[in-house]
Amino acid sequence: MATYSPKHAPGSSPQTAYTTPASTALFRRLVWEGTVPIEIRIDGKELPAGSDRALESYYVQAPRVGYLPLLIPDIKRHLAELVLDDSGVRFLKEEDWWFEAEGGVLMKWHWPVGLLYDHYTTSVSPGASSSSSSTTHWLPFRLTLHLAAPPTDKLLLSPSIEACKQAFMGQLKEADFLRWGSTKRVTGLRKPEHDGLWDGVRDHNFDDYWRVASKITPTTTPSSVPPVSGAPPSSQSVLYRPASTEPGHTGTISAGTAQQTNNAVDGAYSVRNVPVKIYLPDGGPVIQEPISALDETGRPTTLGAILHKFLPLLFPSASLESPSSLAYAIVQGILPPSDTEMAWLGACMAGADGWVNVCVGLRGATTGLGLIGL
Amino acid sequence: MEALETYRKKDSSKIIVRFKAVGNAPIMKQNFYKITASNRFQAVIQFLRKELGWKQGDPLFTYINLAFSPAPDDTVANLFKLFQTEGHLIVNYSSTAAWG
Repeated sequence: MATYSPKHAPGSSPQTAYTTPASTALFRRLVWEGTVPIEIRIDGKELPAGSDRALESYYVQAPRVGYLPLLIPDIKRHLAELVLDDSGVRFLKEEDWWFEAEGGVLMKWHWPVGLLYDHYTTSVSPGASSSSSSTTHWLPFRLTLHLAAPPTDKLLLSPSIEACKQAFMGQLKEADFLRWGSTKRVTGLRKPEHDGLWDGVRDHNFDDYWRVASKITPTTTPSSVPPVSGAPPSSQSVLYRPASTEPGHTGTISAGTAQQTNNAVDGAYSVRNVPVKIYLPDGGPVIQEPISALDETGRPTTLGAILHKFLPLLFPSASLESPSSLAYAIVQGILPPSDTEMAWLGACMAGADGWVNVCVGLRGATTGLGLIGL
Repeated sequence: MEALETYRKKDSSKIIVRFKAVGNAPIMKQNFYKITASNRFQAVIQFLRKELGWKQGDPLFTYINLAFSPAPDDTVANLFKLFQTEGHLIVNYSSTAAWG
């Protein structure tokens, strides 16, 4: 295992306690600015007479951390209202809208756009894409907009922005509960802060979102607390606290200063569990397991180790790059290396709802990995 | 692929779900139920609606551990693994939004 990791990038040093290390801020911004180009067409069969069929598609560069219901007002204005005539527009009911990707894949309202896309590309079997070896085969992300008869039993939620916000806040709290064993951090926010999180997502405003999110998301700032006695000597061990350390009880390991203690409490390596969902292709299942930041030897848990542990048939070793791997894993559209630390992913690569979404796809003979360079 | 199919197998084990009323919500006579682990949380909500005799459109809010509403597609198995209390998955229900 390599001894370097992203968290040791320049800019992260004990002196930066209380501030977000530059590398963390950079990755958070990269995740935030990530987009998926989407092409939207209205299902031709559902267009009433009098529609302008010459107008075909609406293109949007959708933020990965956003949600489809947030795109509806623009799609209505720039596509639906132009394609339909006046009487068609009058009967337009957004609550009946739903989206489908090629191959009949339903787009859930409460999944972030980045997850919808990553799960779609990892689900399309390598065999199905053999007609094109182009890495841009799946771009833009082609979605069909249906105007009627939503399969509500599968979509689960209505396309309203309010329902989406509720689902988002629910996920945010679930992630908080996993990290710390309670939702105190989220419920402790003042009302304007609480609302500001969603507003930041809705407006795709990095500063608005992170002004509040930085209060509930663990930082990667290394703690300067000495290593636990008995922990294996390693160049990294000085930087971490044991997983069993509970918030509020950090003083049991080391007296430390108030600053150190607080730093450790909020540290990515102090969480009880990292909120992670692992999506298997073609409709799942979704795997959720308790994933601690440090393993039993006190070393950071890595993505390779986690995938090997929970999906040994697909990942026969902790090396994702190994030729024996039958699958690959992507997070926010990229292939993280095997030794990527889960705690680091939780602090830097989670979606706006606090979850790290790992999409697993099967390696194909010719494609598979080729799909990733998107 | 075979490996994938192994992971696709539905978990048919049963999980004990314990329903607890919050606020003005009616208390259930029986509040322990065994629910198949592979079910999604949405199925739990529908089951609860039926047991309570809730009409469609009647507001029902559900929470785990008095803390958060899970995603409707979270499975009972996953929620149990992560949030169980003494061998039960505790589901709180309310007719009003209790924890925003």
